[in-house]
Amino acid sequence: MSRLSPFFLIGLALVAWELAARSGLWSPLLFPSLASIAYELGLLLSRADRLMEAWHSLYRALGGFALAAVVGVALGMLMGRSAFVAGLLEPFFSGTYAVPKLALFPIFIFAFGIGSLSKVALVFLECLYPIVIITSQGARGVDRVLLWSAQNMGASRAEILRRIVIPATAPFIFAGFRVALPVAMIVVVITEMISSADGLGYQVIYALSSLKTDRMLALVVVIALLGWLLDRALVALRDRLVYWEKLETYYV
Amino acid sequence: MLSPSRIHLARAGLLLFLVGLWQLLWVWGLPAYVLSPIDIVKHFFAALGSEELYQHIGASLLRSLPGFAIGALLGVALGLLAGVTRAFEQMLSPVIFLSYPVPKIVMLPLFMLWFGIGDLSKILIIALACFYPMYINAYYGAKSTSALLVWSALNMGADRRQIFRKVVLPSALPLIFAGLRVSLALSFIVMFATEMINASSGLGHLIRVAESGLRFDLMYVSLVSIAILGYAGDRLLRLARHRVLAWQEQAA
Repeated sequence: MSRLSPFFLIGLALVAWELAARSGLWSPLLFPSLASIAYELGLLLSRADRLMEAWHSLYRALGGFALAAVVGVALGMLMGRSAFVAGLLEPFFSGTYAVPKLALFPIFIFAFGIGSLSKVALVFLECLYPIVIITSQGARGVDRVLLWSAQNMGASRAEILRRIVIPATAPFIFAGFRVALPVAMIVVVITEMISSADGLGYQVIYALSSLKTDRMLALVVVIALLGWLLDRALVALRDRLVYWEKLETYYV
Repeated sequence: MLSPSRIHLARAGLLLFLVGLWQLLWVWGLPAYVLSPIDIVKHFFAALGSEELYQHIGASLLRSLPGFAIGALLGVALGLLAGVTRAFEQMLSPVIFLSYPVPKIVMLPLFMLWFGIGDLSKILIIALACFYPMYINAYYGAKSTSALLVWSALNMGADRRQIFRKVVLPSALPLIFAGLRVSLALSFIVMFATEMINASSGLGHLIRVAESGLRFDLMYVSLVSIAILGYAGDRLLRLARHRVLAWQEQAA
């Protein structure tokens, strides 16, 4: 029973939706029936040109995320292991943390064009923060006794990095990735909604302005599924690579 | 060894060097959309003298703050409830964790259909975005309460309400503040996004108008304003945290 109760809640929501759709109180523009949403969803998933839209969004999100992962892990490790680098960069990251980087998007459009590059650049910037901050916290917290023992046994700096610092930081790195990956999807969808000619975010706005609410909701389902699948894929990767320690949901 | 004053000096030096480089590059020739630091400061102070900027800032805050308040309050209340009540936890938490990686902004078009294109749909989408980190942090905060403390309180004859107020709430507070920080940053991002997508006032609207009219000065005025708002909000929260959690910071 306890395992079933969340499905109960979701089922209840779906039934309530269908009842609202059929009650005739609201126009189908506001509450399209589940059947018409499912029909649109089938169309979305079965047509190659529609799937291309998802692909546009996906490679923008993953491109920016991958860049942020490489740069962020390197920066975070440096900040965690060097007091000088931390002193230099930490105030910058914590000071600009709450500033919406989205405000830079118009400038990015002028600099990188309205194509994919401006979106990838913004995804990179937004994903960089959680990865840097959480990685540096992890790298800073490496057990000193382990480091001392390794030094005592004559390990070189490279060996210490590879055998101790990286394994100890890896759970934090993945925790940072897990915060950053949904951010990548959010930023891609927002930027595509604001200014784009392709991608899922653009399709949502297009469906809205042509009052195809059922198609819009089908797109919402696709975006939600994509966000959820990416998270699952990341968790699966983490469980394979970092099997010695898990950090569950972690916030900056 | 590194003294704090040397790090401060290095940081100030780096910042001065970057701003100086920017100004020099600008003199040497940068694209028209990059203004010089001096010009940005000039334009910003000129805008501070006009009434228009305050109207936009007011419109933005009237969306982001109510959204933040609603989302944060609901998140804390439900998160704490789920943290202390098992039946509630089993019903709500799986749904929340399942939908957590989904970009909430995709609901904006639907909210626009349901609640109109005015402020209400924006406030609700901001509240939705702020709800998640608050719920998750309050939930983990309440769950991480030391069982030993609860037993001791029980032993000393505390009733359920006293245990909640004197044991669970204080142990959850550090994580609640961490969640507030994430939510506040999110509220500014989502506010800016909704205003860029569709609004007739606010800083996000201002930057869109400036962008399409090639008014680079206004673009930077909006950018600087939102940066200052985000930074100030974050500092205020940190100040509040410092007051409320003085006991925890001393212990750490």
